[in-house]
Amino acid sequence: MFKVSPLRKRQVIGGIIGLLIGSTLFYLFTLDATEEYISIGPMNKGHQDLSCVTCHNDAKGNLMQQVQSNISHAFGARSQGVDFGTQNVTVDNCLECHDRANDRHPTYRFSEPRFKQAVKVIDATTCITCHSEHNDKERVSLKTANYCMNCHQDLVVEKDPIDISHKDLIAKEEWNTCIQCHDFHGNHRYEVPTKIKDTIPLLDVQKYFNGEDDPYGTDKKYIALSQEEWLKEIDKN
Amino acid sequence: METTKIKIQFITLTIFGIMLTACGGVPEEGAKIAGEEKAFSVEEVLEMVAKENDVTRTLYTKAIVGKGKAQGMKFDEDWRKDDVEAGPLPALFLRGVATSIRKSPVPLGLYLGSDFPVNAANKFEGKQAELFNEIKKDEKPQFFYDEDQKLHTAMFADLASAGACVSCHNDHPQTAKSDWKLGDVMGATTWQYPKDSLSYKETIAVLNSYAKGTVEIYMEYLDEIDAFKDSEKPEIGKKWPAEGNYLPTPEVFLDSVRKLASYETMKQLVASK
Repeated sequence: MFKVSPLRKRQVIGGIIGLLIGSTLFYLFTLDATEEYISIGPMNKGHQDLSCVTCHNDAKGNLMQQVQSNISHAFGARSQGVDFGTQNVTVDNCLECHDRANDRHPTYRFSEPRFKQAVKVIDATTCITCHSEHNDKERVSLKTANYCMNCHQDLVVEKDPIDISHKDLIAKEEWNTCIQCHDFHGNHRYEVPTKIKDTIPLLDVQKYFNGEDDPYGTDKKYIALSQEEWLKEIDKN
Repeated sequence: METTKIKIQFITLTIFGIMLTACGGVPEEGAKIAGEEKAFSVEEVLEMVAKENDVTRTLYTKAIVGKGKAQGMKFDEDWRKDDVEAGPLPALFLRGVATSIRKSPVPLGLYLGSDFPVNAANKFEGKQAELFNEIKKDEKPQFFYDEDQKLHTAMFADLASAGACVSCHNDHPQTAKSDWKLGDVMGATTWQYPKDSLSYKETIAVLNSYAKGTVEIYMEYLDEIDAFKDSEKPEIGKKWPAEGNYLPTPEVFLDSVRKLASYETMKQLVASK
């Protein structure tokens, strides 16, 4: 038999205790009830009732396979590494609940080469540029509302309905006024004012971005799926 | 003692090695299709699908929009708005197809632009504007590799193939050009795909995703008609607007596209090496 020194014995006991604590924590933190403790921050407005798996799908393969694949990739034995634990969240995850036929600015349109310069300023090819998650109640994470200037400098509106014309607003670089009439995705049903003084105050828009009441109204053409509805859609497919 | 230590290290390493390799790893993305023979270059495939697009758009513009307008049917850029009872204009029909393709697993991008678009936001810029000038000269397709997005990109002339294209664009209140004539290069479609060559299966998937896109947007139009409150609803069946207040079913519409485009597409498909 091996002769075990007291020092080695302590190491073994320490190792076993560490393994037990590690396994217990791993088990506890994968329970639904402990999700809020591993989340990097509270969910945004409208997403409070979602569980992690709604956006964070399990990565392909089991943990051992993922470890093996990434080690193989590190040694050049395979061309691509794999996601570890959960898959990266992509636009497709968002669209599973938020896809709408009437979206004025669908993300895919900005992949066209002519938007190259605009995308360098504001990457509209992905949702998280404007809607970063885990920011507690927030809807839009942009600090300014003048983003229309990146694509609509040449806008011409015939029979312009507003008292200060679009042409003049653009000439004066009043880019914050766009959002006072037009919601970016175009999903609200509401009467658009014809006088600048009647438009939605910018402060109200900013409050809306930060999670307060919707100044465009609550009448929407499409409503995003709830987690239950999303699960039903998955079952159907 | 030293030998024992080496033995333990060897056993540990062996167990660790077996644990790491025994499960086989996660199958590589594309490993399955990597073994498939590449049958077409991306340029050939984009030419094929662009040809199908030409046929589809011309049919929709001439036989649905052109003839439909003569029957009193309405087509509008705001066709999705609740208070507008109309069908999609040809440019929006194409955008509907593009949206549907993006929802499919096929990584194909499709866009429409011009140097004189009705909507200024659709005006070509940069590389596309440069290549569109070439297209206007000879109507030949232009290909380039979009380094930023790592996408193979092709542009094809979009011609004024029906009277409805010319009259609608010339008469539009926001038009930037009002002297369009039949046969003019009014714009160009831009197509993008990530690979430089495609297997037969991938090629068929591209063609199918386009066909599925046309059916989906056409069905959306029929759904819109179904929800009409004030306008007269055309009868949906086998007949076309040329015969009266009728519209073809999606199946009849797609069948006609296939009849018109299948010979050219089939020629290309069977000509694969």
